[in-house]
Amino acid sequence: MASATRQIFKRLFSSTPRTANTQAATYPFSKTAILPPLPTKAPTEALRAGKGLMQHINKTLATPEKKELLEKFFSRRSKNQLQPGSIVTVLQDQAPTQFTGVLIAIRRRGHNTSFRLRNILQRTGIEMQFFVNSPSLKEVKLVRAPPRGRMRRAKLFYLRDAPSKMTGLAGGKK
Amino acid sequence: MIGLKGTLNVIDNSGALLVECVNVLKNKVNNGHGSVGDEIVCVVKKARPISAAAQASVSAVKVRKGDVRRAVIVRTRKEIRRPDGTIVRFDDNAAVLLNNKREMLGTRIGGIVSADLRLKGWSKIVSIAPRVV
Repeated sequence: MASATRQIFKRLFSSTPRTANTQAATYPFSKTAILPPLPTKAPTEALRAGKGLMQHINKTLATPEKKELLEKFFSRRSKNQLQPGSIVTVLQDQAPTQFTGVLIAIRRRGHNTSFRLRNILQRTGIEMQFFVNSPSLKEVKLVRAPPRGRMRRAKLFYLRDAPSKMTGLAGGKK
Repeated sequence: MIGLKGTLNVIDNSGALLVECVNVLKNKVNNGHGSVGDEIVCVVKKARPISAAAQASVSAVKVRKGDVRRAVIVRTRKEIRRPDGTIVRFDDNAAVLLNNKREMLGTRIGGIVSADLRLKGWSKIVSIAPRVV
């Protein structure tokens, strides 16, 4: 039983890179299309019928860098996992290139994992939801952990109505 | 999602403070609801008193309560999705007043605007805004 869970853990979060087929692939209809490396194993009969499809997608869709990011900050087993109530900075390719805020929610859905940051800028509250696997998301940085290590809730939506608690969490960070 | 009777704060220095939406232009889809970057026709519900100098002047823009003006939505409380899936949500609805030629009535903007304005062609407003998110 313990070895089975350990095997699943190793398979889902293995750090050894997959040796993928990197043929010089060309897509004839677009020069800007991103061509992911082809999978090493041909899909099994079961997979072609659709069995275990979401597990397969969760394993293969993310690039290795994104998998690392996902594992480091959003896996429940990681030491550095982000806790709601921490202050996080996100660096992006698109506007806004840098966004800092209180982490108020983490939505864990495998490769669809996303998190919400809330901040108050120019007297207006702003909430942004970032998807971890998005290609325009460059970096996620932890600025400060929550007070006493954790908040008593997983989703801090009550902060929308309590600006005083927001400032308390932020410690004056605007 | 601003529709009929939706109220918006005005964040430029045209003199209006609160406007109420009356019509969303060019939006035959979305059930007539407007989002960031959409032009709306609105009624001024609250306005700053017009200074004596502006009263005397002929060319100054005078925005009074009850005026029917055009505006562009710059912030919404309803989430907006960006092409990569990022979602933005502000705590209030805000607009910037325009004249009939899609030019701004005010000269300064006092608040954050959404970056989606650039995609919809309002780069003039984005360039004046103090902060774009």
